[in-house]
Amino acid sequence: EGPQDSAPVTSLHSLAVTSEQIEHLHRRFKQLSQDQLTIRKENFDSIPDLEFNPIRGKIVHAFFDKRNLRQESDGLADEINFEDFLTIMSYFRPIEMNMDEEQLDRFRKEKLKFLFHMYDSDHDGKITLQEYRNVVEELLSGNPHLEKESARSIADGAMMEAASICVGQMGPDQVYEGITFEDFLKMWQGIDIETKMHVRFLNVDTIAHCY
Amino acid sequence: MGSRGRPPRPAAPLLPVPVAVAALLPVLAALAAGAAEARATSEGQQPGAAAMGTGTPPSPSGTAFEETRLHVFTLDYPHVQIPFEITLWILLASLAKIGFHLYHKLPSIVPESCLLILVGLLLGGIIFGAEEKSPPVMNSDVFFLYLLPPIVLDAGYFMPTRLFFENFGTIFWYAVVGTLWNAIGIGISLYGICQISAFGLTDITLLQNLLFGSLISAVDPVAVLAVFENIHVNEQLYILVFGESLLNDAITVVLYNLFKSFCQMRTIKVIDIFAGIANFFIVGIGGVLIGILLGFVAAFTTRFTHKIRVIEPLFVFLYSYLSYITAEMFHLSGIMAITACAMTMNKYVEENVSQKSYTTIKYFMKMLSSVSETLIFIFMGVSTVGKNHEWNWAFVSFTLLFCLIWRALGVFVLTQIINVFRTIPLTFKDQFIIAYGGLRGAICFSLVFLLPPAVFPRKKLFITAVIVVIFFTVFIQGITIRPLVEFLDVKRSNKKQPAVSEEIYNRFFDHVKTGIEDVCGHWGHNFWRDKFKKFDNKYLRRLLIRENQPKSSIVSLYKKLEIKHAIEMAESGMISKVPSSVSLSDYHEGKIKPLSPTEMENMREILTKNLYQIRHRTMSYNRHSLAADAGEKQAKEILIRRRHSLRESLRKTNSLSRERPVLAFCGVFL
Repeated sequence: EGPQDSAPVTSLHSLAVTSEQIEHLHRRFKQLSQDQLTIRKENFDSIPDLEFNPIRGKIVHAFFDKRNLRQESDGLADEINFEDFLTIMSYFRPIEMNMDEEQLDRFRKEKLKFLFHMYDSDHDGKITLQEYRNVVEELLSGNPHLEKESARSIADGAMMEAASICVGQMGPDQVYEGITFEDFLKMWQGIDIETKMHVRFLNVDTIAHCY
Repeated sequence: MGSRGRPPRPAAPLLPVPVAVAALLPVLAALAAGAAEARATSEGQQPGAAAMGTGTPPSPSGTAFEETRLHVFTLDYPHVQIPFEITLWILLASLAKIGFHLYHKLPSIVPESCLLILVGLLLGGIIFGAEEKSPPVMNSDVFFLYLLPPIVLDAGYFMPTRLFFENFGTIFWYAVVGTLWNAIGIGISLYGICQISAFGLTDITLLQNLLFGSLISAVDPVAVLAVFENIHVNEQLYILVFGESLLNDAITVVLYNLFKSFCQMRTIKVIDIFAGIANFFIVGIGGVLIGILLGFVAAFTTRFTHKIRVIEPLFVFLYSYLSYITAEMFHLSGIMAITACAMTMNKYVEENVSQKSYTTIKYFMKMLSSVSETLIFIFMGVSTVGKNHEWNWAFVSFTLLFCLIWRALGVFVLTQIINVFRTIPLTFKDQFIIAYGGLRGAICFSLVFLLPPAVFPRKKLFITAVIVVIFFTVFIQGITIRPLVEFLDVKRSNKKQPAVSEEIYNRFFDHVKTGIEDVCGHWGHNFWRDKFKKFDNKYLRRLLIRENQPKSSIVSLYKKLEIKHAIEMAESGMISKVPSSVSLSDYHEGKIKPLSPTEMENMREILTKNLYQIRHRTMSYNRHSLAADAGEKQAKEILIRRRHSLRESLRKTNSLSRERPVLAFCGVFL
């Protein structure tokens, strides 16, 4: 069953989003883009609730990240169309009951890769200490009582934990460069991301409105 | 309790002790009766008038025709009888518990509840044999007013709230609709059985059957806790079964009272049925409101207790108990009230009270609930023995059969419906465990004793049936659930060490999800949680917490882990290897500015303020143990030194580099 909008949706069947959801998202897209064909970063400013999100910047950034849009090139896109919007949303689709082991694994890796790209802001495939510190600072930025020092030491502590999990015992000569994607996978092993990372599109009418 | 070098002694030598203690009871009773008799005859009263149980002191009549000599030694049992017996019971229960845990394999095979019931049975048999009369039956008032609240309070206080609210819809669905389904199903099918004249049950009416169905379909939180605690299923399953057992109290109370009144009314109008439905809402919502209100009052009270720290724990217990009995006074659901009170109070009280008070609260709560639970099971065993029974093969066996069938059917059908709305659908294994975990316990036991015998001529039959069902669920299901869980390979809770990075990831992930929900305009769970958090931070915390320093859970966890590591370092003696800042600066040739005294002072201040408020959060609910406490002062010292050296070294380069011996061995250490 094809979607009911006019944008070209060639590869949508691979995204496994139902037609109802597509229609709902299309309405939302039109709201955000103010009836244009593409969305720019500024359009996200019109979502009031997103203001309070401490990692707002990273979330918006993720929408324009070419690695998430499955394009071969690197860097940031200036604007995205509805197909790209759907591609990003498909990272949050629910798990299906009839998936086999291999599909589940791929599913999980996709979602984790999305999160990885949010951490790795300079696109070099590694999460360095500075990037990690950046993340923690942003996370705790909603809390005015915390000093930057605390955020930094927390990031340092977390980084060391990552080092111990991924590399094990380090000798006195070793340097730990940063968390690669494989290490990242190891750290998320205990958490079943494939079931948690999922947004339900239950309500078909848009409740939250933009200015 | 780790294993020590010696082999564990079997429980056998210790078991005679509680038995001996118990055997003392009738002896004491006989003595007391004898002493009372002796005194009575000496003062001219009729012998045997001063019965053992009454404890009325013999009146000194002025017309004693024989003077008594001064007694050198007197035994006055009736004077202390009630507290004496209570103490003996509690002592017996605790000794029995020690006995079980001495042989450490036993609790893992047989849940404690079974063993306690067995001890109770034994005791009941002894009392019955010694006195030829039925032993004291557990008074329903004692159960509902004194024994049940501590257990529910303990469970509600340590409930993982986040998981509970995430699954609230499912829990509510099972509790309300599931219990209704069970009650009506069992009632009607039993009525069908009663119609068959061959069984001799035709005098039991439909309403009586419905009432019986309603009281036997209630899943019992005490039994569920006792059994599930040992099998460590994943938190999701645990919260579903346990949450259901808590929430179904509302429905049970309503149905029980409804059918009881119907049985006593002569005609039933439609208006009564609507009144029943309205009653349900009032009972449930009213109970919760009372709990929340008193929870806030308690939190507010603790805001001002910083001068009298010693009575802080008292407020927690008093307010929770007050919420329970207030709800009971209005015939609302006391269990829901006390649960709501505990869950509301928890967050704010934790920040207001001192560390010591908090520890006291935790320990005392666990102690009370442990004692209550033990007493309940022992009393159940004792009350079973006696002349309260009427055995009817058909009724009892069909009751058991219908309980099992309707529970299984109910869970299956309800899950199919609720899976449509859940983000994580429940698999067959989950459903099986949920159905199998529907244990009955002391609540239905007490409810059946509360039935007025005038309206229920066959009350003894009901009692027998309830006892059989309880024994079956507690013994058979309780013992076999563990091998079944292993056989079905149900996902167990993974008791990993909490890691700072995990907390960071979880928090990050929450925000991502909320953000995406905002972008696509959907109100999900995260939306409501965020809204509540904002409201909480803006109004509630300011009002209820004394020194409001909103902390992130990431920071709390980090500090907690730092202390833990610091303690470990100190214990293993490695602390001496940490180079002080001076030597570190010597080591590295470059110009390092050591931290100025003001900076150090600032850091220390921050640390002390935040360290003082660190709490251990129990990650998984455990009846018998609590996380160990850290020695604060030493920890602070170590922590300051370590953080200092850490900061110094990390200041040099931006990546973890090789020249830092402290870092390397920290890396090793973590």
